[in-house]
Amino acid sequence: MSQPEPIYDAESLARVRHLHLRARTLTDALLMGEHRSRRVGQAVEFADYQEYLPGMDLRGLDWRVWGRSDRYVIKRFETETELPCTVVLDLSGDLGTGDRARRARPDLEGSKAGYAIVLAATLLYFLHRHGEPVGLEIVAGEGIPHVSLPPRGGRNHLQLLFLLLATVRPGGQARLRDALGRVGARLRRRSWVAVVSDGMEEPSEWLPALAAFARRGADLRFFHVHDPREWRLDFDRPALFFSPEGGAELAVDPSGAQQAFDEVVQEYVDEVRGGVVRFGGRYLPVPTDRPLDEVVRAAVLDDVRALGAR
Amino acid sequence: MSLSLLAPLGLALAGLVALPVAAHMARQVPRDRRAFGAMLLLRRVVKRLRRRRRVKDPILLLLRVLAVLLVALAAAGPELLYPGGVPEFGGSGRVVLVVDRSMSMSAVRAGATRLQEARERATALLDGLPDGVQVGLVAYDDEGVAITSELTTDLGRVRAAVAGLQPSYGGSDLRSGLHEARRLLAGEPGEVVLYSDEAGPTQVPEALPEIEALLELGASIVPDTVAADPPRNVAIHRARYGDGLEGGQVTVRLMNYGTAGIEVPCEVTLPDGASIPIFADLPPEGAAEERITIPREALGGVGEVRCEDPDLPADDARYFHLPQVGASRVLIVDGDPGDTPTRSEVYFLERALAPWGGVKSGVTIDVTSPIGLSALEPERHRVVFLANVADPRPFGPRLTEFVRNGGSLVVSAGDNVTADRYNAALEGILPARIRSTRALADRDEGGIPAAMPDTDDELFRPFRRGGRDGFQRVRAHTALTLEPFEASDDVRVLLAWSNGMPALIERKVGRGRVLLYTSTIDLGWGNLPLQAVFMPLMQRMVDYLGGEAGAAAARFDAVVGQPVVVPLPDLVVDPEVLGPDGGAVPSRIEGATLRFTPTEPGAYQLSLASAPPLAWVAANVPEEEGDVRAYDSVVGAERAIAPDLLTRRLDLARPAWGGVLVLLVLQGLLAFVRGREA
Repeated sequence: MSQPEPIYDAESLARVRHLHLRARTLTDALLMGEHRSRRVGQAVEFADYQEYLPGMDLRGLDWRVWGRSDRYVIKRFETETELPCTVVLDLSGDLGTGDRARRARPDLEGSKAGYAIVLAATLLYFLHRHGEPVGLEIVAGEGIPHVSLPPRGGRNHLQLLFLLLATVRPGGQARLRDALGRVGARLRRRSWVAVVSDGMEEPSEWLPALAAFARRGADLRFFHVHDPREWRLDFDRPALFFSPEGGAELAVDPSGAQQAFDEVVQEYVDEVRGGVVRFGGRYLPVPTDRPLDEVVRAAVLDDVRALGAR
Repeated sequence: MSLSLLAPLGLALAGLVALPVAAHMARQVPRDRRAFGAMLLLRRVVKRLRRRRRVKDPILLLLRVLAVLLVALAAAGPELLYPGGVPEFGGSGRVVLVVDRSMSMSAVRAGATRLQEARERATALLDGLPDGVQVGLVAYDDEGVAITSELTTDLGRVRAAVAGLQPSYGGSDLRSGLHEARRLLAGEPGEVVLYSDEAGPTQVPEALPEIEALLELGASIVPDTVAADPPRNVAIHRARYGDGLEGGQVTVRLMNYGTAGIEVPCEVTLPDGASIPIFADLPPEGAAEERITIPREALGGVGEVRCEDPDLPADDARYFHLPQVGASRVLIVDGDPGDTPTRSEVYFLERALAPWGGVKSGVTIDVTSPIGLSALEPERHRVVFLANVADPRPFGPRLTEFVRNGGSLVVSAGDNVTADRYNAALEGILPARIRSTRALADRDEGGIPAAMPDTDDELFRPFRRGGRDGFQRVRAHTALTLEPFEASDDVRVLLAWSNGMPALIERKVGRGRVLLYTSTIDLGWGNLPLQAVFMPLMQRMVDYLGGEAGAAAARFDAVVGQPVVVPLPDLVVDPEVLGPDGGAVPSRIEGATLRFTPTEPGAYQLSLASAPPLAWVAANVPEEEGDVRAYDSVVGAERAIAPDLLTRRLDLARPAWGGVLVLLVLQGLLAFVRGREA
């Protein structure tokens, strides 16, 4: 694993501040009214009783039970531990498209990539605020080499992640099968993993790579980022469509292909959702026109309960 | 079926097919370029649409190519030639309706006869004809008759003539009918509309020459067949009397022309009114023969066999001749039984009148004593022989009444005959009063011979061809003498002895006759029983006296609608033909024959006033008319003679242009849809 080279130009720093601000705003809104704090050390959650056997720690003996029934039993408690969290961010070239991507201020605003970056930052910040160690895996992208930062605590680490997110640009091909396979292989057991991707590669090829996450016992969230206009093929004129990742151009009249495209999208979504669920994950469709706080809320509220239980 | 082109050069336009092919190959490429982040999905869509396009595009190309080819075909002026069912009707302005009114057209289908249906169709055709069309009407059965003498534009008159057509019992001479139609066309083209069932195996084949002649004339025959499908009819083909058990048998042959087996109830009615029911089991399209036993006694005449068949009632009856069967009862009153057969009149009379028994001879003999005259049955006995009866007085009135009511009496002499008793008892009916018995010669000399009879006399007419000389060998040595009498139309001497004394005298009394033979009919006074003329004379005498009603009548078979010629005996005057209903039938005498035409099936008799019938005529319908099945068709004959006549032409140019338009619209729609998808 190679450490990223931090980029400290003024524009990057501004982006970091902007990103940090948005992530904190969203997180604060989510945590408003919540006072639960994490306690490191002895667990307090009662689990069950166990017959005392010679050699066991006598501090666990329940004297009240002994007093009532003259039996020696040991009280057992669930232990609360740290949950390593990793955000896998797909920033392949296709994430750079979007109707407002070109004229957006700041850069990437309105693109799938911009949406995905903010979503990743928010998740990282939220998890960090919960005291969890957070890590980041950026798949594809331009401007930085391949990033793989394992979960770690600490403010500086979070700043580093934010800096990376502010610096990276969509580009290249994700090659999800290999990328997810690698991430899954080095994942710590019982991790929380959020995959933020457009999934625009043959699902039948990359979905099996999720098996690595399942084998590691990871709690997988798949944030399927997409531009709703693209998925509706909402264009008024025939055009030569091309992928930023390369490949052949296709001449298509959107109005005539609308019905067939809807069918294909539905089949594709069903295929991806089915694959994610099959490997124990949760599928979260994330259209870029949906307010980000709604997405994060929907994701983390469910996750809050899950994180608290594990 | 074939295709012809009026302008084959128009097919050169087929070269334009290259245009749609080239257009099909050309594709429009959009000018805009757009970055798209879901190319994976777009590639899937394009792949899917291409799968559909693989089907749609060839269809589009096919539609365009077909449109161009159809343009070329339409420009070439195509015509489809195909064989039509019947020649086309209309356009000539000269129409002859030929209606079959033969017996088979009386067949009933759906409650109406075929002729009724033909009349309705002909009327409907007349109703649809435009003004100015010249129309003629011909009807045919055994021969064709032009109902209208020439073609006329007066459709109302023709319509009325069609409505007046009635079925006949005749056959189907289609040739004659078509000949009349050709005559009405007067050598110019026209259309002959034929309303017929085309039934029977010979109707169409026999008309082939006339069909050919009409077609050569430029005319066409348009058959409007009214045959039932499937055909059904039961007909009696034959009924004939012959030998057999009891009084003989009538053999009835029935034919089923239907395609299903059927059991038909029939009834045989004898001339005396007796009826015998039978059931005939007929196979599909097959015949059955039934034999009906006639009673030992039956009147002669014409009998009838009738079966129940709703399809064609006209041929459900058949008439046959039946001779008198054992019913000529002769009562012999034996006044002198005699010691030996040679001294018994009965012995000789029995052998003369019924040598093989009554069944075959047609005469049945009852023998009784004088007292047994009480057994006289006027309804059964036709002739009474008083053979040497001593005293007829107790029975005189009864015998007189018997004779006046139509019975006949033969009185023969003998030793028992006394003038007083006979004159007293039979005064009113004896041809002459008896005076006494007189010896004409010595018994050993054999007696005096009889004179030659007049064979013009009805009684002796059978001896005209021979046997007349035999009367000269009849001798008598004793005979009755008579008181003088005056010969008249009612009292005649039929035979005399050579000395001029009457030997046989006749008297007509009322409806009966009395014959007086002045000698014996055994060997007592003469040798008559031993002579060759005895048997024929006795039988003729019984016939003459009406012992067998009409048994001596000539019998003829006839076909309804065809003339019958009956030879007349000499001296017969003013004969009358009586039809089945007893009414007089028009007839005419041509020399020694009488000619008439039976108009309906049944028994006809040629009768004279107060005499048995001279002849019986059993008139039946033509056998072949019962066959209602169609064998050959007029259309088939026309097709064989003039195949082009039935060829229809269908102009395909206009439909082709329409097809071009449709194809262009379809390809336009498909291209539009295809363009939106691609």
